[in-house]
Amino acid sequence: MAGVQTNRLDSGGLIDRSAPLNFRFDGKSFSGFQGDTLASALVANGVKLVGRSFKYHRPRGILTAGSEEPNALVELRTGARREPNTKATTAELYEGLEAASQNRWPSLRHDVMSVNQLFAPIFVAGFYYKTFMWPAKFWEAIYEPAIRRAAGLGRAAGVADPDHYDKAWAHCDVLIAGSGPAGLAAALAAGRSGARVILCEEDFTLGGRLLSDGGMIDGLPAAEWLVRTQAELAAMPDVRIMTRTTLFGVYDGGTYGALERVNDHLPSAPEHQVRQRLWRVVAKRCVVAAGALERPIVFAGNDTPGVMMASAMRTYVGRYAAVPAKRVALFTNNEDGWRTVETTLAAGLQIAAVIDARPDVSPAHRSLASKNGFTVLHGSVSGVDGGKDGVRKIAVSLTGGARAEVEADGLAVSGGWNPAVGLTSYHRGRPKWRDDIAAFVPDGAPPGMVAAGAANGDFGLGACLSQGFAAGAAAAHDTGHGGEAGTAPVADDEAFALTPLWHVAGKGKAFVDYQHDVTASDIELAQREGFESVEHLKRYTTLGMATDQGKTSNVAGLAIMAAVSGRSIPETGTTIYRPPYVPVAIGAFAGHHRDETFHATRLTPSHHWAAEQGAVFVDTGLWKRAQWYPRAGEKDWLESVTREVTAVRGGVGFCDVSTLGKIDVHGPDAGAFLDRVYINTFSNLAVGKARYGLMLREDGIVYDDGTTSRLAEDHYFLTTTTAKAGLVMQHLEFCRQVLFPELDVQLTSVSDQWAQFSIAGPKTRDLLKEIVDPAEDLSNEGFPFMAAREVALRGGIRARLFRISFSGEMAFEISVPARYGEAMARNLMLAGKQFGVTPYGTEALGVMRVEKGHIAGPELSGTTTAADLGLGKMMSTKKDFIGRVMAGREALVAPDRQVVVGIRPTDRARRLRSGAHIIPKGQTPGPGNDQGYVTSVCFSPTSDQWIGLALVEHGRERIGEIVHAHDPIRGEDYDVELCNPVFYDPDGGRQRG
Amino acid sequence: MAEFSWDIRSPLERALVSGAYGAPGDAGVALTEIRNFDLVQVMARRGKAAEMSKAAKGRFDVAAPETPKVARTADATLIWSGPDQFFVLSKGGKHGIGALGQAFAQSASLSDQSHARVLISVSGTKARAMLAKLSSIDLHPDVFAIGAAAATSMDHTSVTLWRSADRDGLAVFSVLVFATFAESLWHTMLDSAAEYGLAINHSEDL
Repeated sequence: MAGVQTNRLDSGGLIDRSAPLNFRFDGKSFSGFQGDTLASALVANGVKLVGRSFKYHRPRGILTAGSEEPNALVELRTGARREPNTKATTAELYEGLEAASQNRWPSLRHDVMSVNQLFAPIFVAGFYYKTFMWPAKFWEAIYEPAIRRAAGLGRAAGVADPDHYDKAWAHCDVLIAGSGPAGLAAALAAGRSGARVILCEEDFTLGGRLLSDGGMIDGLPAAEWLVRTQAELAAMPDVRIMTRTTLFGVYDGGTYGALERVNDHLPSAPEHQVRQRLWRVVAKRCVVAAGALERPIVFAGNDTPGVMMASAMRTYVGRYAAVPAKRVALFTNNEDGWRTVETTLAAGLQIAAVIDARPDVSPAHRSLASKNGFTVLHGSVSGVDGGKDGVRKIAVSLTGGARAEVEADGLAVSGGWNPAVGLTSYHRGRPKWRDDIAAFVPDGAPPGMVAAGAANGDFGLGACLSQGFAAGAAAAHDTGHGGEAGTAPVADDEAFALTPLWHVAGKGKAFVDYQHDVTASDIELAQREGFESVEHLKRYTTLGMATDQGKTSNVAGLAIMAAVSGRSIPETGTTIYRPPYVPVAIGAFAGHHRDETFHATRLTPSHHWAAEQGAVFVDTGLWKRAQWYPRAGEKDWLESVTREVTAVRGGVGFCDVSTLGKIDVHGPDAGAFLDRVYINTFSNLAVGKARYGLMLREDGIVYDDGTTSRLAEDHYFLTTTTAKAGLVMQHLEFCRQVLFPELDVQLTSVSDQWAQFSIAGPKTRDLLKEIVDPAEDLSNEGFPFMAAREVALRGGIRARLFRISFSGEMAFEISVPARYGEAMARNLMLAGKQFGVTPYGTEALGVMRVEKGHIAGPELSGTTTAADLGLGKMMSTKKDFIGRVMAGREALVAPDRQVVVGIRPTDRARRLRSGAHIIPKGQTPGPGNDQGYVTSVCFSPTSDQWIGLALVEHGRERIGEIVHAHDPIRGEDYDVELCNPVFYDPDGGRQRG
Repeated sequence: MAEFSWDIRSPLERALVSGAYGAPGDAGVALTEIRNFDLVQVMARRGKAAEMSKAAKGRFDVAAPETPKVARTADATLIWSGPDQFFVLSKGGKHGIGALGQAFAQSASLSDQSHARVLISVSGTKARAMLAKLSSIDLHPDVFAIGAAAATSMDHTSVTLWRSADRDGLAVFSVLVFATFAESLWHTMLDSAAEYGLAINHSEDL
């Protein structure tokens, strides 16, 4: 057990003192309690120094108590779970928590890079742009790595994230962001009205500022009202309360993004659970009750550890019973800051002085001061004496010019409050300026959204409750829920009374953006150099570009720019607000979709059988396809593939081709429809016959090909390539519904209904005779080439049999309903056993199609015409079809188009590779003489050498010519002969035999 | 001469392991694969939607759904699948493609989808929570009542989803997914439901 918590009050706070928790920070052991954040536990242990700043490596402490924290960023957890830039102010404490400070070496207290401070005069706005301009190549090689080492934030884990994340949808009538008084009142009103409500709260406890500031609501202390309200909401079945959930963005159509930190409060997620969950919430209405953020005042030394937002100090003392400082000075320009005095005194701590920048202070506060023996100074803090051990002394410029000093170990600062206008501005909204609170407030919001309470610029507790309640009731009413909402909770409104103060002149660095180390003088410099537009100011100085997105700095930065450029703040304007409101891990966006489950996969009907056979699978689109079936003793894929090809060409083999797209085309006009989508004619195809078809795009380029059979007068069975299956279905549906609605034709995808196998090789018929019912005539006369019909199989099922060939062999395709697919594979093995049947994969399939000169994906590349592919004669001149007119364009019929030819290397031992460029022999390769490229290659066991297909200018007229293949990627140059693309059985005797 | 047996194998035959999965204790989600059903896609011929409806009424004694809903009879479920089209889900061949041909000969085109889909029934106290991870459809009882249907997607996979009759006072959702995607979606379902605990089974009963 670590030592005592030196800075913990003896009583009070919303912590569970019966549940102590041990944790380590920078290797040192501490203890805290359940209910602490890492920040509050560090405060309770007297730790003031928690990090080093981004650029100057200045010592930094905890500034806030929420997700706006710019300073207290740590590396949380270790090893693969190490998470950099985690805000100590939102990280919940758990037993065994380990955190380390960032951006320091060798240690937080002795940081070598703090020498950067000495060079501070050169680290000004635009420093990197100005300094490392030349030579340009040094940037990537030297400057950037060096700068990144010196400046920066935490280190990524560097290994795969071991945790799981998921994503979910939620739906509601009324979505509420924030569970402060406005949010809870909105939830009460909407819930009582009968609306479906989702309330998101990023904290782990409901209540917002009520947890820190208390107050009286409906005559009850805030804590009691909270208990009562939560009980009422919990009893409403359609009200869903989501804690640890940040609403980070709003998207089109009332869709919102929220991140739920499901198990971030534990060392690791319990088994079967996720760490974080990304929610997409669809809401009809949204009430933004996200509150407001207290803003710092820019003065010299305002980043000294121990300088803290006044409201944060109340939170640490009030909510966590943790003491940031024992003798506190307060610097405020508004009435709200004074509440810190009350909290501090109530905890038995000392107030050193209140420095109030306003011209006057209320009599009540004066008497509070005299009663408790502290002075009230009219003026501003102009400097802080202190360092890594915290604040020691505060320099004050008094109104009238005199100076004073205050001894204190902590300085609470309140510069007023900025409504959280992010969500309301994410659809390019620009907030508007309100002079009375000197802050931007929402000016409209995305459709269905409204801000209430502090988020709307109305800070009083009573106003928050009444506005939230009204917004919740209105949202419920708008969504059709008119139940009795009762009355709004009632409370008084506190005084706010603010006199704007942004920047106090003084010696030393005065920080605007703590996280990016942007100072007031950087902004002044940017203005002098002409970067007056806020968007330029942001990019030039990096103001507001850190992980906190400038939550504590943007408005002060604008105000300083306004002052130096002589404009008002609203004239100066704001930068564009963009989600996410807080950083969201990529893992949460990915959810389930990573590694093997990156995308859905499709398995063929014989997949598990193929896996049993030891098949090697290849990803083709979403499919896993058997690529080849290695056998013991085979040294590489080429040996396996060559064996498979040889076995098919010499005997018989089969391959699962179920991945081809399959479409039922029904209806009396089916033939007429196909005539319009294919370049060749199908209406005259006889029932029981198959035909190869080619489709063009509207622009005349080849779209897809496949074999389509006529199974009945009004029923065609169309097949597509594997790659285009879904696209062709979409294309045909478009043709049916939009282009040719007059045709009576119906389309249904049956890709998944049929398991289809190609059986190829001279012994195919022998194999089929074993398995097909003996009554079926499989002879050349009874089942000629391109016949297609249903047959009975032995054992009682029926199959469709197509006499078509992709391999150039005597071949059939057989299809059975998909759940017989695995049985079919087994039965083909059984039927073909005596003939040495060999299952083959996509590689052997590819080899045989190249040997046969058939085109496939590499040739159907979206750039080729039918004529390029040697299929120009298929284009019917007797009918219209999609692509016909555009295919006649000059460039598409130009005589010098690159057309498909075969190639073989002049050196028979040479390997070919796809992608090599074809140039005339003896010429130096260049764009001027590039005549085409190699599309497909394979080692052909039949030719006993590598062969390929290529697209070559005037190719068909150049058969026999020796050309040069130039492959700059692999650094290869060699000669090849242009030849007939049909390497195997050019007269087609085998497939007809 | 070899003896050929034609065993039917569900695409989930290997992936589905009956029993408990995920978090221990009472299962929050029950996943049951329904095997060996007849499924026929019925699409009206051009201008014949009314005739198709009449034929459906004559055959099943219920009107075919014209909006995203299902209609149930004692031995068949008619599931909306798009404008002027629906599925007939049944068992035992009584309403299979062979049996329906006559009834719709004049009005619709039929396509057998019995092997093209896998049918998964999702129920349990956490069924909605689990489905919320997969589906963008609002399944609140007021919105997605018994008999509601949707042609939608889960995990980027096209599915037909509908709400069947309640069982033991709990909602039951049916998911028809393309057969070749089924194993992939199945694993996603297991991942999504693991935290609630699963009871996994398969059945022949629709």
